[in-house]
Amino acid sequence: MIRPTLKRSIICFAALAMPATAQDFSEGSEAREWGLYAEQKALFTATVTDPLCVLTGDCADNCGAGNRQVVLVREADDVMIFPLKNAQSAFNGAVADLAPFCGQTVDVDGLLIDDPEIGAMSVYMVQRIRPEGGDWQRANTWTDDWAAKNPDASGDGPWFRRDPRVRQQIEEEGYLGLGKEVDKAFIADWF
Amino acid sequence: MHRLIPFALAVFASPAAAAIEGERVQITGEVIDTWCYFSGVMGGPDAVVGSAHRTCALWCSAGGIPVGLLAPDGQVYMVLKMAGDDRTAGGDTSLNIAAHTIEADGMLYRRDGMNYLVVEKITADQDIINATHEDFGVIPGFAIPDSEALK
Repeated sequence: MIRPTLKRSIICFAALAMPATAQDFSEGSEAREWGLYAEQKALFTATVTDPLCVLTGDCADNCGAGNRQVVLVREADDVMIFPLKNAQSAFNGAVADLAPFCGQTVDVDGLLIDDPEIGAMSVYMVQRIRPEGGDWQRANTWTDDWAAKNPDASGDGPWFRRDPRVRQQIEEEGYLGLGKEVDKAFIADWF
Repeated sequence: MHRLIPFALAVFASPAAAAIEGERVQITGEVIDTWCYFSGVMGGPDAVVGSAHRTCALWCSAGGIPVGLLAPDGQVYMVLKMAGDDRTAGGDTSLNIAAHTIEADGMLYRRDGMNYLVVEKITADQDIINATHEDFGVIPGFAIPDSEALK
């Protein structure tokens, strides 16, 4: 016979070992729909943390201070959610918005993508963040962060046309990454 | 028995103890932009890889969107270190190999249905070998500005 305390422990560990299930976290969400594959509105409470620390024990101060990716460990079920994107529409990740809350419990609102067929489990677009005891704030700080780090790249047009590293890559290998001659032939045919 | 409980709690509370067992692997795959691949925002999975999507992959990598390694069997591995470099939120190491097919040696961790890869060494870089522009043009269509046609 299994003692009640041991039984509870077994159930607890079994729950931790279970894969992410398709729970509904849409209640109360005000996330904007994007028409993405398998998107689901999702508002939940989570701890902002460093995935390298969680998975490998290699922990950096402040979750890597904006250099490492960060994850959200959801309070309701201990599932590790990987934020891929913030609320902006110009190819921006979520680290600049989330890393300042490293180690903190926050509420987040956004879109989960659950498409196991292509390997998308527990990935997320965070649109707004509410720190404990604070107000909701939009997850849209990436471009300001980029501008502060790239004062010489100011000018007209979106950041991705002005980014020095991107421009250098295109200058060296072309838009297709196959060299300038391939680009030239393609552009002549494409436009 | 009861004396073991505080020890067990301490072990489970520390970050290092939360680590899970990894598996040493060698994986060949394309360095992809996981947002476009998973979200479908730019089209189907076949269109958001390779040369067609190379410029967008640069934008997303520079933008701090996580990169992944897409293996030939369709498995995606979320990269947490690239060649030992933990600066995966917009760092140079991943940016410089956007859309390249690489052979990676590292440690694989699995949690909640996702694969996480710590690439310790890139053992081969095959450059861009997936010439998807032949089928899809460029994705998105504005990746190459109109001004390029006037040159």
